Amino acid sequence: MDGAFRKIDIDAYDEDVLHEEELYDADPRGQAQVLDEAKQRQVAVRSALSKSDIAGALSIVLENAPYGPTFDDAKVVTLQTVFTILSSTKSTEIPNVLKALTQEEQDTLMKYLYKGMAALGGDVSGSVLLDWHEKLTEVAGLGCIVRTMTDRRTV
Amino acid sequence: MSNSLRPYLAAVRSTLTAALTLESFSSQVVERHNKPEVEASGSKEVLLNPLIISRNENERVLIEPSINSIRLSIKIKQADEIERILCHKFTRFMMQRAESFIVLRRRPVQGYDISFLITNTHSETMLKHKIVDFIIEYIRSLLLCISCLIQPRFMKEVDREISDMKLSLNARARIVAESYLTAIST
Repeated sequence: MDGAFRKIDIDAYDEDVLHEEELYDADPRGQAQVLDEAKQRQVAVRSALSKSDIAGALSIVLENAPYGPTFDDAKVVTLQTVFTILSSTKSTEIPNVLKALTQEEQDTLMKYLYKGMAALGGDVSGSVLLDWHEKLTEVAGLGCIVRTMTDRRTV
Repeated sequence: MSNSLRPYLAAVRSTLTAALTLESFSSQVVERHNKPEVEASGSKEVLLNPLIISRNENERVLIEPSINSIRLSIKIKQADEIERILCHKFTRFMMQRAESFIVLRRRPVQGYDISFLITNTHSETMLKHKIVDFIIEYIRSLLLCISCLIQPRFMKEVDREISDMKLSLNARARIVAESYLTAIST
């Protein structure tokens, strides 16, 4: 409704207009390759979970997470994998698992937590995500949230 | 209820504190203008990723940060038609008096019930942790008022009014239905 009186967005034709893809470096990998990797990781995570190695499973899935607008399928697979790990962890184990992660992995996990809360419904409950969020903030601090807000490479 | 409310509010609090790092930023388009970039949304580089914190499918908070302003929108759970009407009236009452709340927005963002707009002027003239406290307390009492489940700590009057309204609405509906049906049956 707002701005309906403007038929043409003249700012889009400005010569130094900023495009979405200039904000971050695109992922060099191909679409099929990323999806393949995501599926392989899902298998690896299942085997790590069966050995109840949760920190290991998390660092497998959080490494080289797909980002950018093109990898929608791989993102869905990765998000599901993260959810299976999150919901199969006991609440008392969470702080130790989080301390074992590197800072980059913590930031990626924070991105997935917010993404999960944005698309709530179905297999994961909000209280699990909020529990993880609270503990991750305790371990990694507010800087982790700030990096989630400022990082353009959305998962 | 308070069990699941506490982590929800804690997540909103930490996200809001992280987002409240604002600075003065002049408009890139018009000279000597200084607009809240989250509202103007003229350029992508000054807008940050919006974050959603949700308690369940029907209750969530959207935080849209930018370089000089943030917008926080609240969606309240509305179980039935009565709650929807009460919620609408209640938030409308607040938003008509938005200038007394300073950071309240006059209109909610699409899909949400009530919104706040905090600019760098607010964070410079007021204490940051007090703004965060205010919004958290506001959400808490708003949820309590709407759901009428627990005695609120403040805004007791409003809460009681809503419960009374709900009761008297049901009572009136019953009387109307009774008189209507007796008119038919005779």
